[in-house]
Amino acid sequence: QQKTITGKITEKGGLPLPGVSVTVPGTRIATQTNEDGVYSITVPNNTTLLAFRFLGYVSKTLTITSGTINVTLEEDTSTLSDVVVTGYGTVKKSDLVGSVVSIRGNQIANRPVQSFDQALGGKAAGVQISIPNGVLNNPPVFRIRGTNSISLSSYPLIIVDGVASFTGDVSGSNAAGNALSSINPQDIETIDILKDAAATAIYGSRAANGVVVITTKRGRTGKATVTYDGWTGIANVQRLPDMMDAYQYTDMKNEGLRNAGTFNAATNAYALTNGPDGNPINTNWYDYAYRQGVSYSSSLSVSGGSESTNYYMSLNYTNQQGIIVKNDYKRLGVLFNIDHKISKTLSVGAKLQYANEDNLAVISSGSLDGQAFSTAGLGRVALVNSPNVSPYSNAGGYNLSGNNLGIMNNKVSQVGFYNPVVQIDLDRSYNYLNRVQSNAFVQYRPIPMVTLRSVYGIDYLYSTNDTFANPVNGDGFAALGSAGMSYSQNKRSVWTTTAQADKTFNNDHTFSLLLGTEQQTTVNTSFGAGRSGLSDLAFNDFTAGYTQFSNTGGFGENYLVSFFGRLNYDYKKKYIVNGTLRQDEYSAFGPDKKAGTFYSFGLGYELAQEDFWKNGKIGKVFSSFKLRGSYGEVGNFAGLGNLAPNSYYSPGLFGGAPTLNFSQAGNSEIGWETSKKLDVGVNFGILKDRITFELAYYKNDIDGLIYNVPQAPSAGLPNSPQTNIGSMYNKGYEFTANAQAITTKNFSWSSSFNFTYNKNVIESLTPTITQFTSTTSGLETANISRVGTSLGMIYVVTTAGVDPATGRRIYVSGSTGRKMLYDHASPVASRWKYEDGSIAPGITSQDQQIYGNSQPKFYGGFNNNFKYKNIDLSLTITYQAGFYIYNGTQASIMDQRFWNNSVDILNRWTTPGQITSVPRVVAGDNMSNGSAVPLDINVYKGDFIKLRDISIGYTVPGSFLTKMKIASARVFVSGQNLLILTKYNGTDPEVSSNGGSNGSQGVERNSVASARVFTAGLNFKF
Amino acid sequence: CRKESKLNPESVNAVSFEFSFSTPDRVKAQVLGMYSGLKAGDFYGGRYIVYNEVRADNYINLTTNAVTAYQVWNFTTSNNAQEVTGLWGAAYSVINRCNLFIDGMAAGGAATVGPALAANYVAEAKLVRAISYYSLLQLYARPYWDGNGSKPGVPLRLKGNSVAGNYDLARNTVGEVYAQIIKDLNEAETALPLNYTTAYDNTIRGHRNTAIAFKTRVYLSMQRYADVITEANKIVSAAAPFTATSGVANALQANVANVFKTPYTTTESIMSSPMNATTDVVGGQTALGSYFFSVREFKLNDAGIIADAGWKATDTRRTLIGTATISGVPSKLMGKFATPSPYIDYVPIIRYAEVLLSLGEAITRSTNTVDARAISLLNAVRQRSDATTTFTAVDFPTSADLATAFLKERNIELLGEGLRSPDLLRLGLDLPAKGTVSSVPSTDRRYIFPISQTELLYNKLMTDN
Repeated sequence: QQKTITGKITEKGGLPLPGVSVTVPGTRIATQTNEDGVYSITVPNNTTLLAFRFLGYVSKTLTITSGTINVTLEEDTSTLSDVVVTGYGTVKKSDLVGSVVSIRGNQIANRPVQSFDQALGGKAAGVQISIPNGVLNNPPVFRIRGTNSISLSSYPLIIVDGVASFTGDVSGSNAAGNALSSINPQDIETIDILKDAAATAIYGSRAANGVVVITTKRGRTGKATVTYDGWTGIANVQRLPDMMDAYQYTDMKNEGLRNAGTFNAATNAYALTNGPDGNPINTNWYDYAYRQGVSYSSSLSVSGGSESTNYYMSLNYTNQQGIIVKNDYKRLGVLFNIDHKISKTLSVGAKLQYANEDNLAVISSGSLDGQAFSTAGLGRVALVNSPNVSPYSNAGGYNLSGNNLGIMNNKVSQVGFYNPVVQIDLDRSYNYLNRVQSNAFVQYRPIPMVTLRSVYGIDYLYSTNDTFANPVNGDGFAALGSAGMSYSQNKRSVWTTTAQADKTFNNDHTFSLLLGTEQQTTVNTSFGAGRSGLSDLAFNDFTAGYTQFSNTGGFGENYLVSFFGRLNYDYKKKYIVNGTLRQDEYSAFGPDKKAGTFYSFGLGYELAQEDFWKNGKIGKVFSSFKLRGSYGEVGNFAGLGNLAPNSYYSPGLFGGAPTLNFSQAGNSEIGWETSKKLDVGVNFGILKDRITFELAYYKNDIDGLIYNVPQAPSAGLPNSPQTNIGSMYNKGYEFTANAQAITTKNFSWSSSFNFTYNKNVIESLTPTITQFTSTTSGLETANISRVGTSLGMIYVVTTAGVDPATGRRIYVSGSTGRKMLYDHASPVASRWKYEDGSIAPGITSQDQQIYGNSQPKFYGGFNNNFKYKNIDLSLTITYQAGFYIYNGTQASIMDQRFWNNSVDILNRWTTPGQITSVPRVVAGDNMSNGSAVPLDINVYKGDFIKLRDISIGYTVPGSFLTKMKIASARVFVSGQNLLILTKYNGTDPEVSSNGGSNGSQGVERNSVASARVFTAGLNFKF
Repeated sequence: CRKESKLNPESVNAVSFEFSFSTPDRVKAQVLGMYSGLKAGDFYGGRYIVYNEVRADNYINLTTNAVTAYQVWNFTTSNNAQEVTGLWGAAYSVINRCNLFIDGMAAGGAATVGPALAANYVAEAKLVRAISYYSLLQLYARPYWDGNGSKPGVPLRLKGNSVAGNYDLARNTVGEVYAQIIKDLNEAETALPLNYTTAYDNTIRGHRNTAIAFKTRVYLSMQRYADVITEANKIVSAAAPFTATSGVANALQANVANVFKTPYTTTESIMSSPMNATTDVVGGQTALGSYFFSVREFKLNDAGIIADAGWKATDTRRTLIGTATISGVPSKLMGKFATPSPYIDYVPIIRYAEVLLSLGEAITRSTNTVDARAISLLNAVRQRSDATTTFTAVDFPTSADLATAFLKERNIELLGEGLRSPDLLRLGLDLPAKGTVSSVPSTDRRYIFPISQTELLYNKLMTDN
């Protein structure tokens, strides 16, 4: 006797689920739901149970109570988060010994960012992300557990679907081009951040800075799901300094001339000029440099699959405007992931990702690494140019004086650098990136316990630059217009073959063994051409007529070949042992240092699995309690020259004839930097793991730090050879708490807090060198790194206020401690005096002292997700503390050359007896406020708390959507950088004028400010 | 599948150190490489000249740009100023090239090219090394008169350095460095060719007369006037028209302007740095044309030498002064290097007019007389550009007046060529006030550059000025 059961299976939103398997447990009776989610199954009369299974949803087994059983399946959010990617494989979170943070793609999706790394701030303990300024697609400063190198890169290794990605700014124009932006954040399934030796040792010589493993989305068995995500937003600049207007400027600069004794109304004076409207010109240069940027982004994906073939396809387009005029970012990207089971034992798959990106700018923002003192730098020009002249002359046309901004009625030689409007109108500095990231794999499982897998992947990154500097004003003036075209081709191929065996004996002993080999070849070729001297000024293209031509070329290649293995063993899920071994051979190491061996071992102990624990009182408090520890040795070579071991003479030209010059002093002993990582931690949960905690102590001991050992310049070497010589450590504590604080039918609140304390100490540099300084854009030295301190300490001259009697700045000699006063109005030889009035030798860079550390001691984040009925609210707070910033921009905007000043200058000393922090203004004085030598008055605490991200969403009720054939829909509004709590007076406490450089952090010099962004968006699922 | 060859890559564009002397072409390319080092933007390509010009009183800074010699002009350069560290590094880079070359020639390079050519080449290396050390002394050391060469000079390095190492080395005295310069120049004089086959090579590479001419400059700086006379007489005929009587026929050109225009290879240019528009010009913020003419970092000081009443308006040398209206003010520009970017005007290192003036001055200062040949030498330079002026003995009541006239003539004739500041320093004269900048007495610390900060940091035996 049989009976027929029918029903409809839907998801939570009410949308029918096709392809759900309906089975009778313990039998072979089975069926699937049809397109409308309806099933019908005939079963023996005595059948009591029906099971419903669908990938990605929580399976249900229900008792048959009637002939109709309708089922609602809940999406399974736990299956994925229980698994952590550990490099060349995955491991269940409960079996994990290493320190890994897994971030779900949806935590960083739908944010107005160009690349996912910009959204990682505050998401994980031990991970520090700082966004240096408001230039679009600028790579953030990205550190995992401190700065782990001095001369090489401290940027983590980024693995995208098994292939090590290019990183950093790959643009060759004035627009930044983060290599990671080719990945649409919406396509990311998970980001796993590997921190300790146990987790990273499988990446051997490249793992010292931590490893970030990106896994893109793949299809799941079931009906096709179409997802649309879109947002649009506006960005505005914030926290710009208040500058003087034309009236204040004119008066103040004349006061400076009078104080210098050189004022002459006819020949040496500042003066207002009436504009075409008859009123004095009063220009706010911010209006020309900044704008409200409008951005939007759309992503569309289709994913699904049958029992044998799964696919994920996506298309994304984003067009974003920065807060700087004409700084745009556009990306058009596609991703196609496919997995196919040929048979029970054999499967294949492939990925094809292509992205076309435009990084557009017109001129230098002055904000990328090395640009801080660029005369064209828009951030700087907007501050410095005089407000009492206009970019346009009254007769129409540009206001120019030679290659500078025109002086109009002013009777001085210069009142501005370039006229930025000319360049904004006429110049371009475009970068185009074309990127293919692709791989294909074949996987074979001859017996269930063994998996053999071979993957071949490529990462081809093509960077094209198209630049033009106009002949009217700016960098192209002297050359009568110049155009450049350059092309850089970065090609990487990786072939990885692994064998994995997993076996559990007697239900208690679980072994997992991985063996593998990998070869990686990276080739960079580049060429560029410049043309200058336009033969017809009407044109601006590279292909126009020019009188002068130049070209450049470059080539580099490196090769890494590796063998690796990993063994995991656990006993009853209680005791876990993990060991990793990797040998890397790398082409850029010296002849006897080609091969390095890296290893780790880790131990885990899950006390909560012990009977005494389970049965004791303690087990009632702690639902899980795992002790873990690992130790190992990994390496770093990112940034090592491809031919570093060798010495060379390079060709050149002299009057057109060939020359040959000593060009590289090599070091045949060069090898990898060694990072010995110790990690001890405890993970525990209470209330059935509703609240989990993770505490970790880590120490990275870095030896053989590659240091470009500076040679006495008089030795005349062409370079400072890279040498494995220094040692340094980072140690610290991490704390993470995750709470599923409230879960009720209508309201839920989940929260995650993390905190990191990091201490970075240089232990040695070379036997003879105990310190080195780092410059900002090669001009200003405000950082020093000394044995016993952390990298990049702020290094400035000590001052002692302003003399109330004379208005002179008081400086403290670094060697004698004696006070010296400076008066720019005095003859050169008597500008410096001691307090007693005798001539003093003057303050120089020799008097600079260490002020404080520029690396944050504390940082972290606080993430909250609230849900009330259909409304969700998420907010991310990030913080960094315990560090200093040198605000060099402030030195610039208090400089007494023609440069415009911040309104702070209105507090300058004017009268004997006046107590003020601003010295008397004297025309031409670049010393008193810190332009000539960095001063402590421009150093500030950088501590901040930021409301990085807040997002409010509304999920449209299912009943309405069903009619529209929409599975789910959500609308949201969000804001970024809405609130910054800080005592730092510059643009943004995350500022970095030196990008991600190791030794010169914590410097703000003429950077553009950061953006505050509001967005609104939609998510649909069909 | 591990590829051994890929693990041991070779350069596709650079010559391995050990093969750098393996062919005659490579050896010759290294010779030109030394000159190209001399021509570096931070050195004789432009900035050495610029600094020595703007330290003196003939210029007014227009841009207050701290990267284009503003701080040199107003004497605020600190130890880590780019001007101070850049020139120091550029000079020692050339010196090391020369040292490596001399070492490499001894270690087998000579065999590659044969002894005759090897001797010529090594002599060129010594000439370039001598020029480099001399130039360092002009900015980083007290003048010779101060303590008679006993003051700290610069570290003398005479061996090539090719690997990282301990390069602590104390400063030699000014006198020791000058002695080495003279030794190098004497050896160069003996071994340099008398001339090359082309006027171009005679201008851009050292020949025997180059070594001799440079010695006149060196001895003048040491106030060893008798030696100036001895050396100069080797290449200056006894009476007008003054010409070199052996080697390259160095002589004044009829029109001084011809020296500063294409092809830049007249016999007056004893040595110059060539600029080739399509291959290797010195660019932007280092080129003389950029500083003084195109970008106009500096204009001529209206109160400087151009105000001199004795320098007549009809003097041809006034045609080498440009005019422009800058900020509404009619202004004068130093126009010897007037070609805009690409800056193809050759940069003179030493030219024949200077030798004549050095000789005349040396005669005057050593004999303390108003010497007829000295006046004749002065006239040779003046009348070439201003036929209406003839100096006679009555113009100079004392020999000091004649010496002053020589100094002024040098100021006029060599304006823009980087000799003004060294001329003041060698005589212990104050660096005069200009514009908003007051004068710097010869006793002042700012009379010379400070020592490069990086040298002080990484050479433990180095001391500051």
